[in-house]
Amino acid sequence: MQLTNNQIRIISLLLVLHYIVLAWLFHRNGYEHTERLFYAEKLRLLFDYKENTLLTLGTTFPTTVFLINVLFSPFGYLFAPIASTIVIMSFLFYFMAIDIREAAIPGKTLFFCLLILFVLHPQFIFSAVSGRNIAAIMLGFYLLFRSLFSYYKSQTTYYLSLASIFLATLIFSEINFLWLVLSFLPFVVLVSLEGIKVAKDEPVVFQYYQALNNRSLRRKLVNRTVALYLVLYLLPLGAIYLFRTLNESHAGDPTYFLSSQYANWRVTGTASITKILEQGIEGNLMKQTQIVFPLFTIFLAPIFIAALAFFKGKMYELFTLLTPLIFFSIVLIDAQYYLTTEYFIIIIVMAFVALSFTAKSQLSNKITSLILLVATGLTIVGGVYYFKATSDFEEKDFYTVLTSPAEWIKPKKASEVKIVAEYISSVVSAKRPILIDDAAAYPIVAHLSSLEGLVMPMQKNFVTVIENPVLSVEFICVAKRVNRLHNFTALNAYNLNIMKERLELKPSRVFETENWIIYSIR
Amino acid sequence: MPVCALNNMISVGLFTTAKLEQIEEIAEEYDYAYIKAALNFGFLTRKQYTSFLERSGFPLFDIRNEVIDETFVSECDLLHLNAFLYLPIRNDGKGNLIIAAADPLDEKLLGVLELKFATKVKLVAASDLDITWMVHKFRGEYYVKEAVFSLMRKDPESSGLITFTDAQLVVIFSLIALAFTMLTINFISVFIFINLVFSGIFLFAILFKLYIALKGSKYELLETVTKAEVKSIENDSLPVYTILLPVYKEDKLIRKLIWNLRSLDYPRGKLDVKLLIEEDDDKTLNAVRNLDFPANFETIVVPFHMPKTKPKACNYGLFFCKGKYLTIYDAEDVPDSDQLKKVVCLFRKLPKDYIVLQGALNYFNKNENVLTRMFTLEYSYWFDYMLPGLQSLDVPIPLGGTSNHFKLDKLKELGGWDPFNVTEDADLGVRVFEKRYKVGVVNSTTLEEANNEPFNWIRQRSRWIKGYMQTSLVHMRNPVKLVNKIGWRGFFGFNFFVGFTPITFLLYPVLLSFWVIYIIFSLDSVKVLFPDWVLYISIFNFIAGNTLMIYINMLAVFKRRYYELILFALLNPLYWLMHSIAAYKGLWQLIYKPFYWEKTNHGLTKVSHSAAAAANANAT
Repeated sequence: MQLTNNQIRIISLLLVLHYIVLAWLFHRNGYEHTERLFYAEKLRLLFDYKENTLLTLGTTFPTTVFLINVLFSPFGYLFAPIASTIVIMSFLFYFMAIDIREAAIPGKTLFFCLLILFVLHPQFIFSAVSGRNIAAIMLGFYLLFRSLFSYYKSQTTYYLSLASIFLATLIFSEINFLWLVLSFLPFVVLVSLEGIKVAKDEPVVFQYYQALNNRSLRRKLVNRTVALYLVLYLLPLGAIYLFRTLNESHAGDPTYFLSSQYANWRVTGTASITKILEQGIEGNLMKQTQIVFPLFTIFLAPIFIAALAFFKGKMYELFTLLTPLIFFSIVLIDAQYYLTTEYFIIIIVMAFVALSFTAKSQLSNKITSLILLVATGLTIVGGVYYFKATSDFEEKDFYTVLTSPAEWIKPKKASEVKIVAEYISSVVSAKRPILIDDAAAYPIVAHLSSLEGLVMPMQKNFVTVIENPVLSVEFICVAKRVNRLHNFTALNAYNLNIMKERLELKPSRVFETENWIIYSIR
Repeated sequence: MPVCALNNMISVGLFTTAKLEQIEEIAEEYDYAYIKAALNFGFLTRKQYTSFLERSGFPLFDIRNEVIDETFVSECDLLHLNAFLYLPIRNDGKGNLIIAAADPLDEKLLGVLELKFATKVKLVAASDLDITWMVHKFRGEYYVKEAVFSLMRKDPESSGLITFTDAQLVVIFSLIALAFTMLTINFISVFIFINLVFSGIFLFAILFKLYIALKGSKYELLETVTKAEVKSIENDSLPVYTILLPVYKEDKLIRKLIWNLRSLDYPRGKLDVKLLIEEDDDKTLNAVRNLDFPANFETIVVPFHMPKTKPKACNYGLFFCKGKYLTIYDAEDVPDSDQLKKVVCLFRKLPKDYIVLQGALNYFNKNENVLTRMFTLEYSYWFDYMLPGLQSLDVPIPLGGTSNHFKLDKLKELGGWDPFNVTEDADLGVRVFEKRYKVGVVNSTTLEEANNEPFNWIRQRSRWIKGYMQTSLVHMRNPVKLVNKIGWRGFFGFNFFVGFTPITFLLYPVLLSFWVIYIIFSLDSVKVLFPDWVLYISIFNFIAGNTLMIYINMLAVFKRRYYELILFALLNPLYWLMHSIAAYKGLWQLIYKPFYWEKTNHGLTKVSHSAAAAANANAT
């Protein structure tokens, strides 16, 4: 007996509750991901600030995630990013569970595996409770490939259009997925080859030979390939062109959404390889090379291996399933940043696409189920291993909280940025303003109770104020040299020294944490 | 055996008994003279018949130059004159009434006429086409007036005779006055407001089109009628099917037309084909006369009456139709050979409230030049995606110009086409919906000739866009009433699809010029009109709108595998500029010449359908 739509909906809702509880636990242990705080700060600026609203709303990237967060802003700016990722995860679960009903392998087991992964797999939990863009990537990724497989099944342009729309959503959740454009090539060509119906019963290589050596067939093959490509890519490329134009006209820089720390969390948030190496944290970073990395992602997700083992379909379907691996190889050509959870978790997502749409088992139901269960268990172990050896600073923090259950019941901890924000809120007012640069201090701004008394870069007078702060503000919030983001802000220890010399400024330290100092300058 | 010219032809070996037997059946079914059945159902050429008559001592009277005593003609009914092909001329002064007949040897007709006129009748031979021309000219007045004014009398609210009602004029001029007043009071704010409204409408109309296209693409492979179903139909069970062929000065296409009709897979005797010729169109009439092979259509001459439009001709033709179903083709159309059978099959399958089925239209000369390629893309998304999408949404479907198949009795019930509307087909689609009937889409295609010449294209398009404006104005005379008739969904569907189409084309160059002025000149005075958020919305709407339209055009290639056309979709913004030119022309004509029918010249292509088909076959 298969689960009904309503039953799946109820389980999806229960999953929401599960994630809310986990999010609360992480929150009371002081775990806050900076991407979540970045969005929270932008939401605050959008709704509580009068200046440059359009710049905030119109250029903040990745847009899909931010726009979804806007929808959830009534839940509070800080909670909105988490609320949105939790809801997106439950939607993802719902779609995956619905598709499992069509699978040709034991549906109940598969559903159970899916549920277990959503409930226990650390990467799934991280995606749901961190407020990062991973949930949107997973949903976009799943819907994209689900549409492609539906297209293979039905051959209607409808699913191709949906794939194009979801690809645009995916790219606007994470710009790197633009490189899927290249990894699609093998299966797009194979789909085209299938479409021109040449030597149907012969092997693919022979079909190619025939197609390429006949002028008319060659033209058809090229035309169909180009057509498929254009239909898949016009919307994403059109959207990027549009976004570049909007950025050019409103920020004076077509790549503002990619390169500005005020518009894109990735600029400050992702850990660069140099930084990781500087800090001597190796971990998974060493696997981030061609061939090794795709194998490593599979190694951490044996459910994908099971899906490939049960694969029964056409060559182009197989190539479609292997798309993420080709994609990794392309991304790694010029990887300057550490590839985090989103690049690993899509393998598991793809495994479920494969299991739902292309899997067929020759084995008995019991053995098939057993294989699936073992693969799921190992995938969870892979997830734990990933976090144990991750090279990303914030993922390490997540793992620390996750593996310290004893800490969960201890009194609530406040994060460092929250402590700083609380101090600022207690001393700053319209009459006693503070100079603060949200390029680095966005986590603090996100936690402030009010934006009153803040002088920030988006204000027209910011440049004037920074030239001679004594005239306009009482406090300055400065990033210490140890602060990972101190290079991204004008208000850092280095510039403070220059200010001291140039203006004979005599700041007095009024509050200090590990990464931040508040100076009084009057 | 009837006594008629055909009998005599058999006796001299010019005709066969088997053919005459078939003709007898047809003549009985249609209530036609034998000679009419023979000449109009492809049994006999006019040239053969004329030469037989001449050899038999019956030279043809040139009745168009004869003095006609109209008192005799006025005693006759047009339908009878047309069916039995005769025309009373005058008394010969010796007590004989001279009557011109297509078959002067038809004894049955002679008997009937002697009884009718209670005098001795002398039958003389005349060309059936000349008789047709004369009888319609003399006796067609009532019918042509009915064709023009019947809808207006029966359903004045649906007639396009009045283009703008008083209330509409008040609203339009009030809006214009309000806009000017407000612009005078606060130019910048009002300009910004108008700009935003315009660009909002532009994007919304395109988003709606994309939505419909996506809905339609779901049904891409749906075969409403399968080949097996068509095969299972027994010919004996098929009803008489009327085909209307309204033509004007299409003399070059007549031969092609015959070949296209011959390729239809439908019993010959059950095809009631009417070639509708205008009274002043001697070119086409002579082309029919000079055919050296049998014609498979009946010629109907539409007497002169304004407006000289296709719907008027079709309405006139309705009086002579014998079929259970009816369709319209243009002279150059090449329908799928099984189209009529598919329609019959689908009508049998569908609920009774489906009274119209629209076939898809496409082009056989798609690769002729850029324009034909763009036109093909447009028609492909329109008929392959939009119409199924509209059907699935259950909103009014604007019918295409040809290949729309009707239940004849229901068409008559609706009052036929509106002769004052230059897109009578779109208007009829809405009226069908208003009367709570439904329009379906049949999976069959008719290939047409794509317009390959820009000025000709603009002429054609200006008529279509003007027609959409007319249709909108007619049905939006009382919006509340329209909502009551077709519901909110139908109302929005109608307005977004029919009403917004011309508006989008009219707005396009306006938005484009705003854009160009801003980007190129970058004047401070212009910047005032584009504050940041207005500029943001304008840029967004303009780029998103164009991208989506290109995208919709790209989708179009998939169903028919016209992959080679996909890059041409990128030219859609330019194609839209041509639409805009046509839209402004249409608007101008709507005001000054609302009923003027911009004639599209056909036969300009250098590609023949058979050549295109052969090229396709080679390609595959």
